Order: sequence, then C-alpha cells, then structure tokens
Amino acid sequence: MYDFIRGPMVWISLAIFFGGILYQVFRFLALSRTVEEQQIKRPTGLVAEVPPAGTEGFLYALKLSIFRTNPVMVVVTTIFHFCLIMVPLFLLGHNILIERAIGFSLFSFSESFSDFLTWLFLFCGIYFLYRRRFSKRVRAITSRNDYLMLLLATAPFITGFLAYHQILHYNTMIVMHILAGEAMLILAPFTKFVHMVYFFAVRFTVKSEWALGSGNRTW
Amino acid sequence: MVKAKRKPLEEIADAISAYGKVLTVGCGGCVSVCLAGGQREVQELNAELELTLKEKGTSKTLGNYTVERQCNMDLLQEMDDMVGGYDCILSMACGAGVQLMAERYPNIPVFPAVNTVFIGVDRDIGMYEEKCRACGECVLAYTGGICPVTRCAKGLFNGPCGGTNNGKCEVSQEIPCAWLDIYERLKGQGRLDDILKLQGVMQWQNQLQRTVVQPKFEKRYYK
Amino acid sequence: MSNENTAGVDTDRIKKRLDSRKAKMKLSLAACAHCTLCAESCFLFNARDNDPTYMPSYKFINSIGVLYKKKGVVDRATLEDIRDVVWGRCVLCTRCYCPFGIDIPEMIAFARNICREQGVFPDYEEKGSIHAG
Repeated sequence: MYDFIRGPMVWISLAIFFGGILYQVFRFLALSRTVEEQQIKRPTGLVAEVPPAGTEGFLYALKLSIFRTNPVMVVVTTIFHFCLIMVPLFLLGHNILIERAIGFSLFSFSESFSDFLTWLFLFCGIYFLYRRRFSKRVRAITSRNDYLMLLLATAPFITGFLAYHQILHYNTMIVMHILAGEAMLILAPFTKFVHMVYFFAVRFTVKSEWALGSGNRTW
Repeated sequence: MVKAKRKPLEEIADAISAYGKVLTVGCGGCVSVCLAGGQREVQELNAELELTLKEKGTSKTLGNYTVERQCNMDLLQEMDDMVGGYDCILSMACGAGVQLMAERYPNIPVFPAVNTVFIGVDRDIGMYEEKCRACGECVLAYTGGICPVTRCAKGLFNGPCGGTNNGKCEVSQEIPCAWLDIYERLKGQGRLDDILKLQGVMQWQNQLQRTVVQPKFEKRYYK
Repeated sequence: MSNENTAGVDTDRIKKRLDSRKAKMKLSLAACAHCTLCAESCFLFNARDNDPTYMPSYKFINSIGVLYKKKGVVDRATLEDIRDVVWGRCVLCTRCYCPFGIDIPEMIAFARNICREQGVFPDYEEKGSIHAG
C-alpha cells in the first residue's frame, strides 16, 4: 500500500493533473473563438493625447488596480500562490525522490529556506481562513466548499511540515502528506482550483477591459 | 446608447484651476458602458489630474463618487450631503447628466469632463460607431434600416445627390454612399418601391429643446 | 429541493435556457474562488457603504448560481429574489473586474433573460423603482 501511494499513484496523480489541465484548456478553446481585429483610419486632425509624465510606471498602474483597494490581500495571495508552486517543486526531499526515480531533478532550495516558505504559506492560509470566517464581505459568499478547498490546498503543507519536524507520528504523517498531495493534484483541475487554468486562459487571451495583453479571443 | 469621450486633460485641468476642492462624479449609465465616465475613469482622471497638478507645483482635494445615472434627479439626491464640501464638480456624465447636476446644485459650478459625441453602437471593446442623431422623425422604416440623417453628409431623404461616385460620397472617397447602401439593402429585400415614394420635408424637431413623454404617461403629464 | 412550490413557473423552460449556456455558466461558477476582489470595481458597492450584497460575485452567485444549483426548479418567490438582485442591485454597466476574467455581466444578463421569460421583471411604473435597470 505504502509502495503504491508513493510510487505509481504519484504518476497517476500527475497524469490526471496535467490531463485535467489540458482538458480544461481545450474546453475553454471550444467555448471561445478568435475574432478579427477591426482596423479603422485615424480621423484627420485627431492628435493622440499625451498622458502626463508618470502614468507609464508600474507603480502608477498598481495605484489604479486592486492593489490600491486590497493591498494586504494582493500581497498575501501572491505569496501564497508563489509558495504553493515553488515549495513542492524545489523541495530537497522531493527532488531526491525524483532523482532516484528518473535520474534527473531540478535544483533545490535549502531545507531551512523551504521551511521558511512553508511557514509563510501557512500564515497566508491562516489569513485566508480569518477572512473567510470574519470578513463580512467574504462571509457573504462563503460556502462549506470554500473551507474544504482551503484545507485541500494547505493539507499537503501542514502534513509535510509536521512530518519534517517529526511532530506527531512520522510514518502516519508522511502517508497523509503523500495522500494529501495526490488528492490535491487529482482534484485541482476539476474543482474551484480550475481558476489556475482560467486565469491564464481568459485574462491573457480574451479581449476585455481587464485583459492582460492583447488577446483577440471572444466567448 | 449615448457615446462619449473624455476631454483632453489640459482642458479639464484648466476648467478647475480656480477651485481647491473638486468632486469628480462618474455615471453608471451609458458613459460607463462606453468606458468614458464610469467609476474607473473617475479614478483614472483623478490620478492623472494629481500628476499634472504636481508638475505645476500645486495640489487640490480630489474627491470621487459614481452614481447610477446622472440623468435622474432621484438618483442625484444621494449626493446632496456630499457636495457641500466641494468648490466645484467635474461631471463625467453625458451632456444631459451634466446639466441635471448643474440644475440640482445651482450654487456650485459644474464642469463637463467628457464630450458627448453621439448615439451609437458597440463595435468592439473601446470602439463605438455613430448610428442615430436623435432627429425625432425616424425614417428607418423605408430606408432599409440605414439612417440617411446620420450616414448621408447632406441628410438627404429621396435618394443620393449628384456627388455619389462609384458608391462613395463626394465628401471623401473613404465614405461609402449611404443611399447606395440603402438601395442595395432594399433591393435585397425586394422593397425598392419604398424609396420611390416621395418623402416630404423633414419637420426638424431638434432645433428646439424637446421633451419625450411616453404615450402611457401623456394623460399624466400633458395638460 | 424538489418539493418546491413551482406553481406559475415553467421550470422546463428555465432548464432548457440554462442548458443553452451550460458549459460557460458551469465554468464561470467553478472558477469563482469567492475571493471578493471584484467588490470595489462595482460603483454601487462603494456607493452603498460597502454592502456585500452589491459585490459582483454575490450578485452572480445569488442569481444564475441559484438557478444552476437548483437545476431550474425554483418557485416564484426565488425568481423574485433573483429579480431584486439582477435589476435592483446591478445596472449592467458591464465594468466589473474579476481576477480570473469571469464574464459576470453576461451571467447577470442571462439571469435577467430567464426571469423576464417567466414574467418576472421590475415594475418601472411603481414609484420608487426608478433606479432599476
């Protein structure tokens, strides 16, 4: 059993994860189409207005974005998602296992750095939990599912953290850690986590006021 | 809907130069839809004004607020307690909204921050095309759904002028002749008879300020 | 709940409508992370003292979200609640921001569509309803 969940099951989870992402990408592509960009001539005599100096900078753009209205949330969520991807990818323990399995691995963060990032991640998770529970506006649209999602995202980190520090029963923790990680990979493309696909698929390709870049797809 | 475009920043800055506390007011109606005067444009305008003021070494208090529709007195009412704290108002609504705002607060100067351009359609995000001049005497029924008042440079009602040239307008070779389009559309529908009837002189109604009362409400408002 | 009193509501027709845009609706509802970052992009949210029921996400979850969850089997009172959300709390200025690019205005317009088809829409002649729509 242990051999199965730390062996084949990992590959199955990864296959489902990437397969699921591909499925969602194709689903998005099927739901949308490209539109031709309309081109019209600039009317004679119409000169382009030059915006005042200082409107090109990144900081100015931030000022007009959600960073101005929700600075804490933007910082926390950025750290959270950064850690969510970086920690498992560059964790020494993971990379040793991958090296043994396929003879190749990415470089690794030092153990103390990974530990620090895990702390950071969990603090961000606690902030999310706090918002869900106590912020009026977040509560207004929170359902039980949202707590489950938060648990699903943080469980691999909590269990991994406990196992690494040998808190509670190590063997149980490591099994739970592996299961939690696999559960996340398997469920991610098919639950609320689909926003990871949606973010890139929509914001970067669909033509809209808030588009990132000059995509010319439409629904 | 009504389509508008923001005025050049310099012109806006010039209008408010004499006032210290400025309230920029957006409208959630048409100007919001056409990305000219919604909440986001209010914030952008204030941010840009701040920069130009800083360049000139001055500063102002710039407030911002957005109402549902500035063309409705009941909806303007919610600003009553707010405007007292300002020396002037910058309205990002269409001309109708600006005027109603000025009427509601007759003691406070109200300046327009956008140019109201036309009644038009959404061609693409951020691109709008004129379709209607609100002449008050719609002729689309016999022109195949193409407006000669808007599209024909001369606003002709009985076919093209002598200047039509290979389907183009005499004003510019890049402007298609409205009357050719009307002809083609009606021909396709087998309705060419529609333009053989002579159309009388247009009762131009837009020379005087008009009021629209829906038939249902005539009894109520017409004495 | 199937024991809902659906008198006066053509639930089959709602179901059919929902099915016509099911894929996008499902994806939109699933992609919403309930993060509330859309709130301030709604000018009504700001103008109504940050009332959470004006958040774009709240409005689309409590309109099309409800219809989807109940698979169109709703009573008239529910439709009337939805009416108050999609007309009373939204003017369809189409300017809301979503970090994931969810087309919230389209979903609200869709809900309006379904309500209208069931004969549920605001009474514009009623005094005091002038701000709607």
